[in-house]
Amino acid sequence: MVLSSLKPSATALRIGSAAILVVIGAWVLYTYPPVTSGFYPQCVFKTATGLDCPGCGTTRALHALLHGHVFEAFTLNPFLFAILIGFACAAPSLMRGETPRFVMKPWFGWGSLVVVTGWWIGRNLMT
Amino acid sequence: MNCPNCGTSNLDTASICANCGRPLSAAPPPPPPIPPPQSASYTPTPPPRAPMGGGAPMTPGEKIPNYLIQSIIVTLCCCLPLGIVGLIFGSQVNSKLAQGDVAGAREASKKAKQFLLIGVGIWAVLFVIGLLMNGAVFLEALRDSAANR
Repeated sequence: MVLSSLKPSATALRIGSAAILVVIGAWVLYTYPPVTSGFYPQCVFKTATGLDCPGCGTTRALHALLHGHVFEAFTLNPFLFAILIGFACAAPSLMRGETPRFVMKPWFGWGSLVVVTGWWIGRNLMT
Repeated sequence: MNCPNCGTSNLDTASICANCGRPLSAAPPPPPPIPPPQSASYTPTPPPRAPMGGGAPMTPGEKIPNYLIQSIIVTLCCCLPLGIVGLIFGSQVNSKLAQGDVAGAREASKKAKQFLLIGVGIWAVLFVIGLLMNGAVFLEALRDSAANR
C-alpha cells in the first residue's frame, strides 16, 4: 500500500519521460547543425531516389526554429508547422494516454493521407 | 375510432376519449420517450453503433487502434511509402468504425500495424547497413562536429 502510493502515476511517468526526450533532442538539435554534423540519420528515400520525402528538411528546420529563424524553418519544410500544430492539439490527450478524439475521425485519416501524399508529390514537382 | 392514448374504442363523433379524456383528433400522442443513451462507462471513443456488417460487436473497453499518429511519424521519419500504406489502413479503421463495421476495423487495424512494423524494420536495417558501410566516416563526422561547433 505504502509502496504503491509512492509509485509515480502513469501520467506523471509519461509526461516526465516525454519532457526528458524533448529536452535532450532539442539540445542536440540546437548544438549540432544538421548540415555539418554527420551523425543524424540520412533519409533512406532521398539516398535511394534523390527525391525529397515528405519529412526531408525537418531536422534542419527544427535546428533553424530552435535558433529563432522561423522563416528559414518554413522554407526548409513548411509541413513541419502543420505537424507541430497537430501535436500541440493532440498533446493533452496523449499525456493522459488517450488517443485524441479528432484522430479517430474518418476525415483526419483520409485528410492526412491526401495532404501527406500531395505534399510529397508537390514538393518534388516544385523543385 | 380508437383513442391514440389508451386504445379505447370511441364514437367517431367524440372529441375526447371516454376512458382517459385525451383529445381524439387533435394532436397525435406524445412521442414515446427517447431511450436514454447508453451508460457513460461504456466508452470506446467513437460512439458505438449497431454493427451492420458481420463480426462480433465491440466488447466494452475494447480499443481498435488506428495507428494514424504512428503512420505519420513513420512517413516523415522513415521516409518509406509503407507509412502511406499505414495511413490508408488507419483511415479505413476510422471509416469502418463510423459505419459500425467492427470486424473490418479490427482487420484494417492489424494490417496498419503489420505494415508499420515492416516499415520500421526495413528502415532500421538500412540505417544499420549505412552505419556499418561508413562507420569510419560516421566517427570522423561525429568528432568533427564536436570540434567545430
